[in-house]
Amino acid sequence: MEEVIFGSNIMQLLIALILVSTFMILGSTRLYSCVRAFGIQSFLLACVAGVVGFSTGKYDLYIIALLTLLLKAAVIPYIFIYIIREIKVKREIALYVGISPSLITGGILVVISYYLIRSINAITGLSSFALSASMSLVSIGLFVMISRKKAIMQMLGILIMENGLFLGAISLTNGMPLLVEIGVFFDVLIGVLIMGILIFRINKTFETIDTDKLKTLIG
Amino acid sequence: MIEYLLLAPLLTSILCFFTRTRKQVETVSITGSVITLVFGLVLVSEVFKYDIIVTWQNALFADAFSGFMVLIVSIVGFVASLYSLGYMGHEFEHEIIDDKKLRLYYSLFHIFMFTMLLVGVTNNLGLWIAIEMTTLVSALLMILYSTKSSVEAAWKYMIICTVGITFALFGTILTYFAAVNILGETGNALNWTSLISVADRFDPTIMKLAFIFILIGYGTKAGLAPMHTWLPDAHSEAPSPVSALLSGVLLNCAMYGIIRFYTIATKSTGEAFTSNLLIIFGLLSIGIAVPFVLLQEDYKRLLAYSSVEHMGIIALGIGFGGMFGVFGAILHMFNHAMTKSLMFFGAGNILLKHGTKEIFNVSGVVKTMPMTGAMFVIGALAITGSPPFGIFISEFTILAAGFSHGHILATVLFLLFIIMIFAGFFNNVSKMAFGMPKSGVEKGEISRWTLFSMGILMVFVIVLGVYIPVPFYEMIMKVVAIVR
Repeated sequence: MEEVIFGSNIMQLLIALILVSTFMILGSTRLYSCVRAFGIQSFLLACVAGVVGFSTGKYDLYIIALLTLLLKAAVIPYIFIYIIREIKVKREIALYVGISPSLITGGILVVISYYLIRSINAITGLSSFALSASMSLVSIGLFVMISRKKAIMQMLGILIMENGLFLGAISLTNGMPLLVEIGVFFDVLIGVLIMGILIFRINKTFETIDTDKLKTLIG
Repeated sequence: MIEYLLLAPLLTSILCFFTRTRKQVETVSITGSVITLVFGLVLVSEVFKYDIIVTWQNALFADAFSGFMVLIVSIVGFVASLYSLGYMGHEFEHEIIDDKKLRLYYSLFHIFMFTMLLVGVTNNLGLWIAIEMTTLVSALLMILYSTKSSVEAAWKYMIICTVGITFALFGTILTYFAAVNILGETGNALNWTSLISVADRFDPTIMKLAFIFILIGYGTKAGLAPMHTWLPDAHSEAPSPVSALLSGVLLNCAMYGIIRFYTIATKSTGEAFTSNLLIIFGLLSIGIAVPFVLLQEDYKRLLAYSSVEHMGIIALGIGFGGMFGVFGAILHMFNHAMTKSLMFFGAGNILLKHGTKEIFNVSGVVKTMPMTGAMFVIGALAITGSPPFGIFISEFTILAAGFSHGHILATVLFLLFIIMIFAGFFNNVSKMAFGMPKSGVEKGEISRWTLFSMGILMVFVIVLGVYIPVPFYEMIMKVVAIVR
């Protein structure tokens, strides 16, 4: 976006910090730290929305920033903590892939995303940089989902992906129309609630939330 | 009219939640679904008259394609709510669910209807929101029984489809980016009505990327292989009336999303790119269903894999393109919705009677439940594409399109696959339908409601095989004109 000249340094800093917060999730074995890192990531996203809103003069983005702050940085982490407390899940997260391989994979995914986005000629400058960060978040979110055993981490993975897309939408197009953004927020919130209900059900029927126990349906 | 159509199921749902007895909730539900059906039909006739209706500050709209979707949703929804009377009533009488769950079931059922209608009438790439809502509501419907397998199925469904749909959101964002470059940042830059006129000026690279993401994303929800893995679990574990809605209607809603984007993307990328992708995914879906249909042991999963196959056929039809291809695909959406719902209703009756989903443990259905058995066998003939039923006509049209557009290899493979599926499917169904009834299974149907609702669908299955009514034909032609 050529218009975003003013905030471009701040933007770069924020986006870099968002990537750091993502690696905090990858590098942590404790559920609480993962949730906290997610909260930080969402807070930084809200800042991105605010900065873009300030530099483009689009007031819609302030509303979006506020909603992000409220929902993703406060309500959703709270729901996570509530679930963790209620079902007394073991605080350590079970992994299919260890911490160091996870971090290395994360690094590789960032590099791949960067080169992938650079190869699209129609997207240039800061949006290219932000979009590669957004792609990284999407792919790391996906990686978190498949490399962690706990159902709750799969839920977190989806939210990381969603955050990545949010970053993409803001950096590419200064945010989608307000109506659409609010609809997406609504879906994310309801989705988190329903996934929460499902996690409780899984815990009740299987007496664990390790998803490797969920393999009765095949063929 | 669109607002009323959306309001009807929403209000019904709220009312259902506040009823007391079984009788009340059933009355409210049926009244609600009749009203929804009537409003749906009125909307369809209005679309016929005005071609395009826009309300609510451009947020809602209806053209022939939306009308077509509304028609499918409201017909199958109405029939499924009739069927629910018998099916859920039976579960209630046998104390498998209590009246609290019954109320919950009916209110979720109507919210589910609402979200599916919303998919059809959203004038916006925010279609995404509606499709994600369908996932959320139907996941709740799936865990109604809270058995181990249903919770597992719901979790898989929720996770896989949400991830899929996240990709679709990325595709939507890219499309919006392409549109903003042409239209500027207006609130309208995501509306079909404004997109379609300028779509040929969109950046082809961006649109290619966008279409791939959309196809993967909505393709997950539509059950296209290889993203179909959640589908057999979800469709076999849900209560049978819900399975019918999931297979017959919801898959079509996701397909609708793909086809809408196909129309926009094709204008910018050219036909070869989008069509080839659809042909590849379509063929893969049909092919992947073959071994699972041949070796299946669970009859609800059998039907689910057949849905994967039929979604593949629709994708293939659109991919072949031309008048015939698109016509066949659109007609197939309708035919499949009717026939597959019929089959799931039949499977529901069999499940209630025998208490097992294993093909091996069911036999002689024609003797124990003559009406259900007969309709199940006819439905099986219809779903595998034998004449003289609706699906035969649409599959034949798609085959013709394939040959006439020079996709010889794809068409031959398609033909080969559906012959194998015919053999496998019918072999399994005949094991269930014929032979000696299992001991301990009493003679008799479940209820008159379940038979009545199957009868209504039967009419569509048979009539569309011999004759396509003129207004219906005209409607499909209008849809074809929109898609191409």
